[in-house]
Amino acid sequence: MRADRKETLRYLGYGGQEMEPQLAQMIEETAVELEKGSSPKSIYQEYACQVLGDKIKIGELTVQSHHLAVNLKGCEQAVLLAATIGRKADLMIRKYSVCNMAKAAVVQAAGAACIENYVDEVEEEIRKNARERGLYLRPRFSPGYGDFALECQRDIFQMLECSKRIGVTLTEGNLMMPSKSVTAVIGLTTRERESCQMEKCSLCAKTDCEFRQEGEDL
Amino acid sequence: MSFKERLGRELLFFDGAMGTMLQERGLKSGELPEIWNVDREGVILDIHKQYLEAGCNIIKANTFGANPFKMKGTGYTCEQLTKKGIEIAKRAIAESGRRAYAALDIGSLGKLLEPLGDLSFEEAYEAFCAMCVAGEEAGADLCLIETMNDTYEIKAAVLAAKEHTNLPIVVTMVFDENGKLLTGADMEAAVAMLEGLRVDALGLNCGFGPDIMQGFLPKLREITSIPIVINPNAGLPVVVDGKTCFHVGPKEFADIMKKIAQEGVSVMGGCCGTTPAHLRALVEACREIPPMALTEKNRSVVSSYTHAVELGSHPKIIGERINPTGKSRFKQALRDNDLEYIYKEALAQQDRGAHILDVNVGLPEIDEVQMMRSVVTGLQGITDLPLQIDTSDPVAMETAMRLYNGKPLINSVNGKQESMDTVFPLAARYGGMIVCLTLDEHGIPETAEGRIKIAEKIIQEAAKYGISKKDLLIDTLTMTISTGQENARITLEALHYVRHVLGVHTTLGVSNISFGLPQRERVNTAFFTIALAQGLSAGIINPNSEAMMAAYHACCALNGSDSQCQDYIALYSQQGETAKTASSKSGDISLFDAVVRGLAESAHQAAEKELETRKPLEVIDEELIPALDKVGQGFENQTVFLPQLLMSADAAKAGFDAIKEHLQAEGASSESKGSIVIATVKGDIHDIGKNIVKVLLENYGFHVIDLGKDVDPELVVQAAREHQVKLVGLSALMTTTVANMEVTIKMLKEELPDCKVMVGGAVLTQTYADMIGADFYSKDAMGSVRYANELFQA
Repeated sequence: MRADRKETLRYLGYGGQEMEPQLAQMIEETAVELEKGSSPKSIYQEYACQVLGDKIKIGELTVQSHHLAVNLKGCEQAVLLAATIGRKADLMIRKYSVCNMAKAAVVQAAGAACIENYVDEVEEEIRKNARERGLYLRPRFSPGYGDFALECQRDIFQMLECSKRIGVTLTEGNLMMPSKSVTAVIGLTTRERESCQMEKCSLCAKTDCEFRQEGEDL
Repeated sequence: MSFKERLGRELLFFDGAMGTMLQERGLKSGELPEIWNVDREGVILDIHKQYLEAGCNIIKANTFGANPFKMKGTGYTCEQLTKKGIEIAKRAIAESGRRAYAALDIGSLGKLLEPLGDLSFEEAYEAFCAMCVAGEEAGADLCLIETMNDTYEIKAAVLAAKEHTNLPIVVTMVFDENGKLLTGADMEAAVAMLEGLRVDALGLNCGFGPDIMQGFLPKLREITSIPIVINPNAGLPVVVDGKTCFHVGPKEFADIMKKIAQEGVSVMGGCCGTTPAHLRALVEACREIPPMALTEKNRSVVSSYTHAVELGSHPKIIGERINPTGKSRFKQALRDNDLEYIYKEALAQQDRGAHILDVNVGLPEIDEVQMMRSVVTGLQGITDLPLQIDTSDPVAMETAMRLYNGKPLINSVNGKQESMDTVFPLAARYGGMIVCLTLDEHGIPETAEGRIKIAEKIIQEAAKYGISKKDLLIDTLTMTISTGQENARITLEALHYVRHVLGVHTTLGVSNISFGLPQRERVNTAFFTIALAQGLSAGIINPNSEAMMAAYHACCALNGSDSQCQDYIALYSQQGETAKTASSKSGDISLFDAVVRGLAESAHQAAEKELETRKPLEVIDEELIPALDKVGQGFENQTVFLPQLLMSADAAKAGFDAIKEHLQAEGASSESKGSIVIATVKGDIHDIGKNIVKVLLENYGFHVIDLGKDVDPELVVQAAREHQVKLVGLSALMTTTVANMEVTIKMLKEELPDCKVMVGGAVLTQTYADMIGADFYSKDAMGSVRYANELFQA
């Protein structure tokens, strides 16, 4: 797991501005401190998957979501995945918010880059295993994307025993703590993958987001 | 014989997995196993009996997740399923006719505690209380707190069990491959806290199989004085075709466990993936092996939520700066509830090498208990150093000890009977090392012998509470040499005797020695050096003093506790050069440039220099604000990006601090442009954006009342009314919490129609903001400054 430096800068809104070497060094040191102090953990399980209209059954989990149904169409199996880089990022943000706000912002960005990178790694592991069985992965899809309700986190957490296995918990409002954590559904299909990774942005309502990937609206 | 009588005298056996057995019988993923206590009682009874048949003598009742949080919305109550679970376990034991015990099994609540999570310590405590009370009523023989990965949650559970039952308490935790809990505590920290809380046994469960767990045990045996429990999985969980499996079979499991038993443990059993077959093999292999011999390790330790600090041959630094005595700026911070100032003091001392932080927040005009509560909780969120709770108010002391995530240092008890009667029971209850002042009803003895006598009296009295010498830290009291030439000698003689003859650790408030003298640091340094040589275990000093820290590091190199002088070399081999570059860097840089370039230290120095010749207001209007404007414009034109903006903001803040100090010295105070309430709305816990806005608004001279995150709409309205603000800023990150933003705005508009509301956050757009009735949508931090400036100028 690492914080891709380019991604980190992108999350910070970097657009080629002139940077003093001291700032570049600060970003580097902060990213390294985060990487060293983080202990990424993940858990995933495979379940039978059924899609009936907009109603999806993944194991005992029932979800009503048009967007997820489109994503999982034709999948007979699906993986539920939860991953986290741990509490270090949150602790660093708290600490640096007191004494060095710029560092806090860098941790925020580097943490986002770390968890993305780590989930990619875990997904790669799932992909390898699936390929051996002649299965292909659909793009991962998380609660909160499109109309996939955040409330589904409750069930996913219970099914994967997230708090016991990887130390991720839910707040009253279904947000994850540690904050640099991800849950996702990954459909498994016998057919070559049909949709592209960029689907996520096209489903998001924040059309003026500076991080929005271009030209991906459906 | 009771469990407690047998514990440590014979090898005892916990049973194996419940969940694994239930899954085989059709428990679905995500289904709550505890509900089977009611729905399929026979299955649970049968599994217990199989384990009893296998030779186990402690049955974990099926109550692991029966806590009130997990029961919410299931139609069952915590009490109901807990009681039922214990009853089934007891029935299985009775029907099997074996001499076995039913353990109330308590797992994690599945929620993260404050400050990182949204569950308060007391709420966690209440939830555990419900389980403990129900479990004991139903006849449990012991309380097993297991699969724990957060020391704070463990503490809540242990206190609940201690304060509401008479059950023996066993705690087992899940350490990862680095030997740490998920929340970061290492083994020393966890053991220090648990032994301090006086649990009956502790150990490991889940996470790994016996092979890997075996590797953790030498360390655990080395540091633990009480019985050790080990309940491993049947190997590491392996995902096969998307399903979790455990591969270690009964024979292999028992073979490794036998080796572990021979090396020494007190109780063993199984966790995930283990079956009655595993346990049968285990009991057969280990039945004849005696339990580990218990020895007192006599470690003098305090701990934080991450690590322990051991007092021994390597002396330790206790940072003294969090204390209002003689510091007007600190007093002001306490009166203003300016916790950030206190946190900065903490971080500065940590940077300078303090091992433990003293926390004294007593001031006659403030509510010390409340302040202690806020500061201890807050500090635990930003520094991982152990804290020394410094107060003479027993209620504040108990509040802090209770909320403290670890084993604290307590400052202090003294030889007065009343003091000992107050402090020792608290230490016995919560654990902790205690600073003991050698004074009593007759005052401070003027001889070394007199102080030693009091030390002996305190040691004896502590023993009555089961507090041994290892947990005492005797302070032979530093009195200034300006009032008595013998003072240093008396203190040091007593100190030497306490450390080397009584064999108890020592501490001193070092800097008192020079009170009333000029150039105090010179005397302090010399005295500190001599005290270290006489056996000072921990000095309470100002770590920001370069000279004191140099003396300390040199002494450690000299007394051999700094192995191969590594620390000394690491600290001082580069220093000549860095000192030079630092001075050249801050040489002639102007305040304006320092802010633009984001150099906080230079900004502070440059501001001080400016103030020698110019008026504060001039410095603000002609240097600080133009510099901030320049950077702010750059940010909006995208020639400056976020970290640069924030570095400049921090630099400007350092400049403003210099001005504030200057004004305070002249007895004046800085004026604010007006007050603004800001908050991250209910349900949302991501507040970095709000914090950035706060820093910038403060830079531009606004007084910001920061209500924090996850704030109830009512509280926002209340604060806005109380401070009569004309602007409230709200942030939200998630689509789901924007709804709470809308509620908050609505309430504000109804109650305080003249108050404007600005909003910001990741998912917001102008359209969204309009929809929920906000007056202004700020797409970034500078936007909020611009809006506030316009609004307050009008």
